[in-house]
Amino acid sequence: MIYPQKISAKKSDFIIKISIFVSFLIALILLIINKSVTPKIPWAALANSGIIYIWVTVLYAINKNVNIAGHVLVQTIAISLLTVYIDYRIGFKAWSLAIAIPIVIIIANLTMLILTIVSHRKYIRYAIYQLIIVLFSMLPVIFISKKLVTDPTLGEIATIISIFNLLLTLLISAKDVKEAIVRKFHL
Amino acid sequence: MSKEENKLSWRRLDNSAKIFPISAGKKYSTVFRLSVVLKEVVNPKILEQAVNVALEKYKSFKVRMKPGFFWYYFEENNKKPIIEKEKAYPCKYIEPKSNNNYLFKVTYFDKKINIDIFHSLTDGGSGTIFFREIIYTYLELLHPEVFDEKERQIRKIEYDTEDSYIKNYDKKAKGNASTKKAYILKGKKISLGAVSAIHEIIDLKALKEECEKQNATVTQYLSAVLIYAIYKQNYEKNISNKPIKLCIPVNLKKYFQSKTMSNFFSYITLEAEIKKDKLDTFEKILEFVKSDFKQKLTEKEIIKTMSANVKLGNNPFIKIVPLVIKKALVRLSYIEIRKYTTITFSNIGRIGIIGKYRNYIDYFLMLIAPEPVEKIKCSGCTFENNMVFTFTSILKDNSIEKEFYNFLTEKGIKIKIESNGVLNDISTKN
Repeated sequence: MIYPQKISAKKSDFIIKISIFVSFLIALILLIINKSVTPKIPWAALANSGIIYIWVTVLYAINKNVNIAGHVLVQTIAISLLTVYIDYRIGFKAWSLAIAIPIVIIIANLTMLILTIVSHRKYIRYAIYQLIIVLFSMLPVIFISKKLVTDPTLGEIATIISIFNLLLTLLISAKDVKEAIVRKFHL
Repeated sequence: MSKEENKLSWRRLDNSAKIFPISAGKKYSTVFRLSVVLKEVVNPKILEQAVNVALEKYKSFKVRMKPGFFWYYFEENNKKPIIEKEKAYPCKYIEPKSNNNYLFKVTYFDKKINIDIFHSLTDGGSGTIFFREIIYTYLELLHPEVFDEKERQIRKIEYDTEDSYIKNYDKKAKGNASTKKAYILKGKKISLGAVSAIHEIIDLKALKEECEKQNATVTQYLSAVLIYAIYKQNYEKNISNKPIKLCIPVNLKKYFQSKTMSNFFSYITLEAEIKKDKLDTFEKILEFVKSDFKQKLTEKEIIKTMSANVKLGNNPFIKIVPLVIKKALVRLSYIEIRKYTTITFSNIGRIGIIGKYRNYIDYFLMLIAPEPVEKIKCSGCTFENNMVFTFTSILKDNSIEKEFYNFLTEKGIKIKIESNGVLNDISTKN
């Protein structure tokens, strides 16, 4: 063998197709639960637009071969700041801290998770951004502990997802993560 | 600019090199790779030492690229290059930051050493000279008891970095470029930005015997097999009246006196009018290739192509356009320019290795980066009795590679296949 083992075109296509199918299934289940349990609050539409956002970002990253982790990080911070600003301008009801930022964090973490699964060989390019996103994902913990939010549910979910994401990606790409940390933080 | 930066030496890009940084990007990397497969596992520390020693001898590679107001230029680079284990796909765009701004990247994997070179820096011929120096130095450092570096240095030729295009072009020569757009290979692309590399390691003796039977050179014969494989597996399945245009780079050092380590190549383009000239059998295609080579591979025709390109780069109106605008204009015009070639086949020929060094080498590889329009690129190089023909591709379908393999094996020529595993194995039925 004269090349490092690469994921075959057939396999990567299969992974993408399965992931899209699973996303579609999740979207459908959310829609059914929403209609049957809380039909007056259209929360499934919000969640599903998040799923669409994830796929637009992932497919863009795949086709354009860009370091999407950097873009995800910038977008996460920018959208979060924007929502806080809008919230502040219209009388600060703290919805940006209780709902918007946790949703942005959940989407960012899921995007990173899918990117890691479909192209974990490139993880070294994402490692530092991933760590910063995880650090940023700890914001809801601060909001909850400082009692800035009345309903901590979404914040807690966001934190759990980001910790789960970090553990899973560490598991998948442990070797690459170690290499990235050694390289970036060597003395 | 700091005082320290001011002291660094700099040089202009040669005439061919000027275009590459303007048109290159992640999609169009304009990177080629040379690899050597050794008979023993690579020692990374020794390799790093060897690269640094070789760089001191070939200073033209010890540079980084900087943007000027009108053109890019090379500036001396005092940092050390980063040598890494191979991870990425071959011939990918070299992120300057990934290698301390060097325009080449040395990687290794098991018994293989690779050098990916950005085309602005040099061409395949001169790239081979630098790569050979790395290999020689590596082997000398690894086996000091076997090799004597001083002995090799006596035979070393001195090189320079002159722009041999400017020195040799003909101001009065008229252009000979074809105005016909080429047939573009059809098919779905591989996802995840992956690049497939398939190497067909051909028994050179048997190939030469077959070429002699057909009264053709190795490049002519393989060009004909390639056009035939495209015709059978891609062209025939898609209705088109456009010609299959095969671009073949030509080493200008064979035609002009030059010791430059910069780019000095031109190209000829074979234009196979499959429909119009009814080129529907291999025999007809081979006859066409031989006659087109005879017509186009002459000093007169090559000077015409080279001079047209030099005149374009020397045009005072183009010269005074600021780099930022040049970039935008070139990128726009390249969307069209790229439609004039179906495929490229670059054969750098025999890689000569001296004496005892040969005993440590299995074979060499050469690869060139495929692009969104030219989805497959082919390259070849020879060492001892192995001629390695390489397909680098972003197409999911590998039937052209398979047809090429089947055609030669049916002629009784032995071929061994190596690949990076992105596409299915072509030597088995699948």
